[in-house]
Amino acid sequence: MFASASLCEAMTMAVETRNADQACLTRANHPLQFSRDGKSPRLSNVSEPMSSPITKDDIINALRRVKGPDLDDNIVDLGLVSEVVLANRKVYFSITVAADRAEELEPLRQAAERVVGDLDGVDQASAVLTAERDPGQSPPAPMQTSVPRPTPPSPPPMGGNGQQPRTQKAGVPGVKHIIAVASGKGGVGKSTTSVNLALGFQANGLTTGILDADIYGPSMPRLLGITGRPQPVQGNILRPLEGYGLKVMSMGFLVDEGTPVIWRGPMVMSALTQMLREVLWGELDVLVVDMPPGTGDAQLTMAQQVPLSGAIIVSTPQDLALIDARKGLNMFRQVDVPVLGIVENMSYFVCPSCGERSEIFGHGGARIEAGKLGVPFLGEVPLHMEIREKSDAGQPIVAITPDSPNAQAYRGIAVRAWERLESEAVGGRAAPRIVIE
Amino acid sequence: MSPSSLWPTELRLSKDKSSLTVSFEDGAPYTLQAEYLRVRSPSAEVQGHSPEQRVTVGGKRAVKITNLEPVGNYAVRITFDDGHNTGLYSWSYLRVLGAKNDERWAEYLAELAEKGLSR
Repeated sequence: MFASASLCEAMTMAVETRNADQACLTRANHPLQFSRDGKSPRLSNVSEPMSSPITKDDIINALRRVKGPDLDDNIVDLGLVSEVVLANRKVYFSITVAADRAEELEPLRQAAERVVGDLDGVDQASAVLTAERDPGQSPPAPMQTSVPRPTPPSPPPMGGNGQQPRTQKAGVPGVKHIIAVASGKGGVGKSTTSVNLALGFQANGLTTGILDADIYGPSMPRLLGITGRPQPVQGNILRPLEGYGLKVMSMGFLVDEGTPVIWRGPMVMSALTQMLREVLWGELDVLVVDMPPGTGDAQLTMAQQVPLSGAIIVSTPQDLALIDARKGLNMFRQVDVPVLGIVENMSYFVCPSCGERSEIFGHGGARIEAGKLGVPFLGEVPLHMEIREKSDAGQPIVAITPDSPNAQAYRGIAVRAWERLESEAVGGRAAPRIVIE
Repeated sequence: MSPSSLWPTELRLSKDKSSLTVSFEDGAPYTLQAEYLRVRSPSAEVQGHSPEQRVTVGGKRAVKITNLEPVGNYAVRITFDDGHNTGLYSWSYLRVLGAKNDERWAEYLAELAEKGLSR
């Protein structure tokens, strides 16, 4: 599954000196695949029965049935098919096309994949479109690209020329701010905070989405009480599910609860990129990303794939958690993602029967730490039975009892985070313009 | 907290693809030759994982830049026509390369001479 599903990434990573002008334009096989009927996505699961061996010539011959981009002749005789790789009943090949026609020629890629995939003796076929440019020539138009951050509160300093960025990396169309909710360690209540914070943004009048970036331990389906599978709208684009008015995407919608996702890093990176970019988010003011714990592949992917508008660090007041929170914070600093502030979760415990306040992990640790680190303190949320019970029942407190003191705590945090987001200090910096003369 | 204080406003690739001009907020533009950027790439291929592992790359006199790609908020991926594209040049690294251009370049020439390599 690994080898075929993220072939493109795997190649990109392993062969660092590959021809730079051959871009992987289309990922042949996504980790999140679609079933044959095109209805609902499923995880690819490749079985390997044995039968008669197939040769490369058989495959080339089959590919002669696929017409070229202009419907004259076939792709083999036009010289567009690369070396065919046949391994373990799986077939990989690439088709060379003009860079500007890659999207238009997606059906051609699919047709080629189907023709080979239908052959006896082939379990799986993966075709990739590659764009070849003459190294001596300049890349195709547009020659000038401006790369706006998704969040410019003011026009870019040098006056952007308003063109669409050519590279995919800049922003997610329609989404104004992407913020990451992170922690250095697990178990501090990051997901509960993410959900209630997202609902807090929404209660404050912002259109909000939430992306559950915890591939290995998705929790959004449960926290929001959503079940179902996202349906593809067009091609590989999925429609997010909705819960309490939030647009939601989670790995948990694609695998059953209780089924482990056992993936290496490149698969996680690829799935995250898909969940971010190949989802019909529509127009959002803010997309809250519930990050997995730690400082690994998922965090780096998020930091590199999109210009994150900011990050919120969740920590308990305990020293141990704070050490890890500091790591999370420094990771974001290294990749120049502004830290919006620290939230202290499980700040204190209020006894449900006598109302006595117990400061189980010590209190105010995060506020002091935030002061030391020079980051704003966004607020504290108590360890309260109501929050826990409602969360586990898929009834987040900010949605169910928006005026309760605990919900108010989250809404206050959302207000402060938004102020920071819109403030000069954080939002004022546009990405540099990239100009190719 | 403010991110890195040295923030570039523009990265401009020259017409002949052999130099990159980086302008910073404080107005200092630096023109960096493709060869210089290539041989001082921040990638692990060039830098290794410690200073002792650094590789001296020779024979890049005619190298050209073929693509610039933003990476998150903090860096740009530069693709060279020799296929090298694993270096992520952060804004602060570009600033250092610019500010210490002469010094670093002289160091490079000395390394080449010492190892018997040529440009």
